[in-house]
Amino acid sequence: MDDDSRFEAFVAERADALLRYGYVLSGNPHDAADLTQEALIRLHRAWPRVRRKHEPESYVRTTMARLHVSTWRLHRRERLVWDPPEGSHLDALPSGVEQELWQALATLPRKQRAVLVLRYYEQLTDEEIAGVLGVSRGTVRSHASLGLNRLRSAVPEPAGPGPAGSAGPSAPNPTATGGRTR
Amino acid sequence: MSDHLEDSLRTALGHAAEHAPRAPGALSAHVAARSRRRRARAQTLLAAAAVVLVAGGAGIAVRGIGDGPVTPATGPFPAPSTGSASGTPSPSGEPVMPDPVEKVWPEAVWKIPAELPGGREFHPQAFIDDRTLLLETSESFEKADAIYSYDLAERRIRKIADISTPKGVFASGYTVGNGLIVWQTIDEADGDESTAPRTTEFWSVPVEGGRPTAIRTDRPLKGGAGKLTVIGDKLAFSLERGGVFTVPLGGGTVEPVPGADRHHILRWPWVGTPGRHPQDGETAFGELFNVETGAVDEAVVRPGERNVKCDVTACVGSKPDGRSAFFRLRDGSRERDIPGESFAGLASDRFRIVHLPVPRGGQYLHDPITGKSGDLGIRADADGSSIAVHAALGDDRLVAYPIEDEYVIIDLSKIGE
Repeated sequence: MDDDSRFEAFVAERADALLRYGYVLSGNPHDAADLTQEALIRLHRAWPRVRRKHEPESYVRTTMARLHVSTWRLHRRERLVWDPPEGSHLDALPSGVEQELWQALATLPRKQRAVLVLRYYEQLTDEEIAGVLGVSRGTVRSHASLGLNRLRSAVPEPAGPGPAGSAGPSAPNPTATGGRTR
Repeated sequence: MSDHLEDSLRTALGHAAEHAPRAPGALSAHVAARSRRRRARAQTLLAAAAVVLVAGGAGIAVRGIGDGPVTPATGPFPAPSTGSASGTPSPSGEPVMPDPVEKVWPEAVWKIPAELPGGREFHPQAFIDDRTLLLETSESFEKADAIYSYDLAERRIRKIADISTPKGVFASGYTVGNGLIVWQTIDEADGDESTAPRTTEFWSVPVEGGRPTAIRTDRPLKGGAGKLTVIGDKLAFSLERGGVFTVPLGGGTVEPVPGADRHHILRWPWVGTPGRHPQDGETAFGELFNVETGAVDEAVVRPGERNVKCDVTACVGSKPDGRSAFFRLRDGSRERDIPGESFAGLASDRFRIVHLPVPRGGQYLHDPITGKSGDLGIRADADGSSIAVHAALGDDRLVAYPIEDEYVIIDLSKIGE
């Protein structure tokens, strides 16, 4: 299998999971598509080297997180190769608390949101988050604590994981929907 | 330590993720096409390196066009050697740190300030002559607004022309010939080749300066052009999808070059197929055609070899074992092992940029003919990020990359035997 087909296979296999990650990072489908597209273009450029190190997934996820918190977003320069559907998906979130949390996340500064997504969606340790965002562990902690406090005040009564009975017994791996293979 | 809020957040993020958009089926092809197009615009790479700092992240172009006719398989090669010359990191042995490029090839290396007077950044595009560089400045990301000539010896700069392009139109592909600077502008349309192909226009301005003039073509050019070359009073160009054409520098009829309908310009008069970015594991420029003499040349590729990238006289590729790389003539002779990978191909039919195992981010220029190597001086920063210098785009003789407040300029044509 040559490089092109390997890249193709990677995209075919992982694009949806990356879009899910982009979606929780950014909070909207258009930015999710934008982040994913840009990160994949950069992955393609770096493919031979990245593949050699067997880390395309972590490369692309790190790129997405950094793009999201960088000023790149203010200078978007390429059109999307497809139009993701617009519209609110809030109705689909199962519990009121989850909807409130999702809305409150949108009010957080980008770095705070990124830290929370990396910690609670990607399940990274603070050490790993520090590496991904290129900041110190202390910064990760302060962003996480500020972000959580803000969510706490926005969602006054977090009544447990919510009545999401369909999530299965105690949802040991709540990020399973993220499809991440680490 | 985990509280209800954290549990709710985990669940909410997991559920929310299920509502993300789905990827379109052709995403990979679109992404690859964008990536290649971007690669063709050298300045893009520099800007990308400044924006996202992923370890070893984006690249900078090393570019080139050749200098006149070359004959395949007649390069001035020394006798084949077994293994690498001293001072060269070997594929298997302990890496030896090469000396800096300016020490290894003092005759070929210039260092100039990385900013113009007044503090503007620039991107080197090509050599105008042995001591003059063509620079481009940008008003914003990828968007050229002027070109300059820079006298390397006197460190003097002179504006050649202002460049103004509408939104979504980008200048690229600068080449020099017949007293002119010639380039193309590509209208990106809506970015989707299948619905609205991009269109290409050509421009020229005298090297001494003036207002850019459009090289009018008798019909709109659909698709992006690849490499441009000035041949006497004509501009020769190949399209990214293949096909070599000429048009008078003063404008006029676009004429296909007979026998080169699938070809890409490699180094005039040599055109080849497939181009620099072949599909399906084909050999880059595996087949060459001399548009002046009609001569053809097919590069030797052995079973199991991969990523074979050829130039006018030589090829590099990965050996069937997948762990080592080779350099040899197109006819299969004078093969030798080379350090690093073959992905980037060759610059000026000979040189390669290779990554050092240590220090992080380090890269060196490797000459497989003499076995000499020179450290480019690039190092990873505190984040582990570094720029990657790429070979074989644009002016084949130019390697240019910034280090701190200087631009390193390497003229590959000055490196002797």
